[in-house]
Amino acid sequence: MKENDPLISELANIVGSEHVITDPTSLSVYECDGATVFKALPDVVVFPTTPQEISAIVKLANKHNVPFVARGAGTGLSGGMLTVNGGIIIALNRMNRILEIDIANQQAVVEPGVVNLWLTQAVQDDGYYYAPDPSSQQACSIGGNIAENSGGPHTLKYGVTSNHVLGLEVVLTDGEIVEFGGAVEETPGYDIRGVMIGSEGTFGIVTKAVVRLLRKPEGYQTLLGVFETIDDASNVVSSIIAQGIIPAALEMMDHFVIKAVEEAFHWGFPLDAGAVLIVELDGIKAGMQGQAEQITEIFNENNCRETRYAKDEEDRQQIWKSRKSAFGSFGRLAPNYITQDGVVPRTQLPKVLRRIAEISEKYDIPIANVFHAGDGNIHPIVLFDERDEDQCERVEAVNMEILRACAEAGGTITGEHGIGVEKMDYMPLIFSPEDLAVMATVKDIFNPSGLCNPGKIFPTAESYAKLGL
Amino acid sequence: MSNSNQLHENLVQIVDEAGLLPEDQLSRYAIDDINPQAVVLPRSTHEIQEVLSYAADSALSVIPAGGGTKLGVGNPPDKVDLVLSTSRLDQVLEYEPGDLTVTVEAGIRLAALQAKLAEHGQYLPLDPPYADRCTIGGITATNASGPSRFRYGSARDRVLGMRVVQSSGTVIKSGGKVVKNVAGYDLNKLYLGSFGTLGVITEVSLKLQPLPEIERTILLTFNDVSETVNVASEISGSQLLPTSLNLFVNGVPLTDSPEPCLLIGLDGPSETVEWQIDAVKTVAQQNGAIGVELYEGQRQQELQGAMCAFPQVGAGTPTVVCRANLRMTDVSGFINTALEANESAPWRMRATGLMGSGVVYLVFSEFSNGDVPVEHTAEAIANLREAATNVGGNLIVESAPTALKRQIDVWGSVGRSFELMKSIKTKLDPIGLLNIGRFVGGI
Repeated sequence: MKENDPLISELANIVGSEHVITDPTSLSVYECDGATVFKALPDVVVFPTTPQEISAIVKLANKHNVPFVARGAGTGLSGGMLTVNGGIIIALNRMNRILEIDIANQQAVVEPGVVNLWLTQAVQDDGYYYAPDPSSQQACSIGGNIAENSGGPHTLKYGVTSNHVLGLEVVLTDGEIVEFGGAVEETPGYDIRGVMIGSEGTFGIVTKAVVRLLRKPEGYQTLLGVFETIDDASNVVSSIIAQGIIPAALEMMDHFVIKAVEEAFHWGFPLDAGAVLIVELDGIKAGMQGQAEQITEIFNENNCRETRYAKDEEDRQQIWKSRKSAFGSFGRLAPNYITQDGVVPRTQLPKVLRRIAEISEKYDIPIANVFHAGDGNIHPIVLFDERDEDQCERVEAVNMEILRACAEAGGTITGEHGIGVEKMDYMPLIFSPEDLAVMATVKDIFNPSGLCNPGKIFPTAESYAKLGL
Repeated sequence: MSNSNQLHENLVQIVDEAGLLPEDQLSRYAIDDINPQAVVLPRSTHEIQEVLSYAADSALSVIPAGGGTKLGVGNPPDKVDLVLSTSRLDQVLEYEPGDLTVTVEAGIRLAALQAKLAEHGQYLPLDPPYADRCTIGGITATNASGPSRFRYGSARDRVLGMRVVQSSGTVIKSGGKVVKNVAGYDLNKLYLGSFGTLGVITEVSLKLQPLPEIERTILLTFNDVSETVNVASEISGSQLLPTSLNLFVNGVPLTDSPEPCLLIGLDGPSETVEWQIDAVKTVAQQNGAIGVELYEGQRQQELQGAMCAFPQVGAGTPTVVCRANLRMTDVSGFINTALEANESAPWRMRATGLMGSGVVYLVFSEFSNGDVPVEHTAEAIANLREAATNVGGNLIVESAPTALKRQIDVWGSVGRSFELMKSIKTKLDPIGLLNIGRFVGGI
């Protein structure tokens, strides 16, 4: 698309020419998200500020038959915002206002570009917070969270984004602006809000969301246990759940990650440990000490080398910082990495983790693990160098075998990152052609022209061939 | 041979005699006074497919059902051909307690499932009315919930995946069996609360909860509604974690006391619960409670049961049950409006408010001349609906005599999202087979 393309000037008429990007250098910032191995250059990026502007942009895109893709903060991990066939990126960064905070009703109304953590910061003095907490919460936007149905460490107890969104205002793919759900918990008819959440930006563009706010728990108990082996730590996870305790979070890091985090941040983790578990309890203080003691006992029964307790809020934040900044430390391990996101039933964790270790050995590709153990949501970090073609081929085989192992264990191929372009090929591992046909039918209802975020989610004929199906 | 005999014979070929409800019992499944032509109870997915295919070929409509406890919800149908109940598909398919999830056939009764889960110290934290009759499939199709949704959510928050037979006979899967899953579209949300209009749910995977160490219920009595609401808001805005927080006006379950009261459910480790009991008592005493009673053991179970069953309080006699969804802060105003409007009406109106969820049930019963005065109640409902929509809420008539239903739209308007809803119905049930004409906007 040329700069003098009539579409560009029409876009400038809508949002102002200063809010339109067309020069290749600036566009390159928008060629990928957090899954940096997948790249595609958009033709143009626009920065609207109102649903009406977005509606006009969408209508224009339809008129010119040009694809359009919404983009939040670009922290996605599956290439969900890639303009695979070129087209318009509708960047929502300027729609970043918290429109309303209604403490009495425990809800807030936000624009899609509001950064996840901002909302918690805005309500914390009132004693509230926004529960979904992806590791990227300092940067990721709530609109992006809605598109991906994001999770985070605390989803074990509090659920994913879908459990915290009451209503949406959406610009549909024909430019119409419609609201689904609202400020009340239920509205009659089909739960379109629910279907919209996690549709990876293929059903329209969310321009406003009513989200729940939760009362901050009275107290927390955060424990960190150091274990000799991954198996020991996995057994702890099952035992905690079996004893009827549902922690707010239950996170695991393997020796690879411990080492990377330690070298980057010097938290004082023993470099030879097999695994570190972070267990957080939250809620009413009365009775919490008893549960913490139960957990300590479970730790000890499973060869725990060392247990640390967060002694105050600062300590607790430090522990979480070490967990959430893990991703920032992988750059030290290899030039590139892909974060997998499979989920398996909790009881299958030890088996699947052993399988991943075998896969790593078989293909000689290092794999680090940092994940939401309580949910069975694993994040194998596949480490490689994209300049090495042979490695890249092996990485592809590794990805397939890991996801196959998750599917075979009765799990799924993504727990919170989405399919995007990254995992389209693996959809047949968990969905039959009939299942996918229903999804395609639903997509066709919301996105009949196919111009809204094309080339995502659905496997192609090649995908089936790749899987040997 | 008469048509009905022919129908009977054809269906017997698919489901056997045992899979067909005897003709003299058809009225049990009557919908708005219309008896179905037949009630089929298939035992397998294959039989469901066969029934659907037969119905499609014979131009018969099919109303999917579970235990039938919510079969009456919806606008009156023009005709009722087949009711297809999944209640004989009642097996637990996969249960690994360590995973804290379970996969069941849709027809399993809630109470039967709870008994199985309890053996492993777990349960499904959903408490809609009629636990011994309602099925997991029905709970899913109606997105049912009860008082404990304040803490544990509704079916929407518990369902991980399902299998559905579409009207074409194709069996599809939505979601999965693990607690986190964002692969593909979240079609669970489409089937949840769709009242059987999009498919027949045959299998459901659910997220469970460990059974709490103890359960208690506190009953607080007050002089007026506003005091009750103040205490409820104070509790919901505190760091206490009640499972339920229900306001009752004009009739408390079990005690039937005339004063407004607040029932607060608590569960968890005993130390946590005891601490909360003290905290609740303090709030209550500071805010003018005239009665504070603690229930445990058998009495607690009975009170909890009565609280769950509240929307069915007048069942068996003429009743009208409305359910309003509101913001929490609009609940007291709405209940007061309802009380004022119905003060001198020729019926008794009971109300309950699920204070943490903004759900209000109004139950009209004890009509002075024994029957529901259609015009008068229709007008009362229209006014209440207006009061709810004026504050951004909505009002659904969950149960009413057919004559009254014909005067109103039980669902109310769904606004501009209707066009999409209609397309969803048309695309997913293109032959118009399933529960026709009874859902929102005549879907």
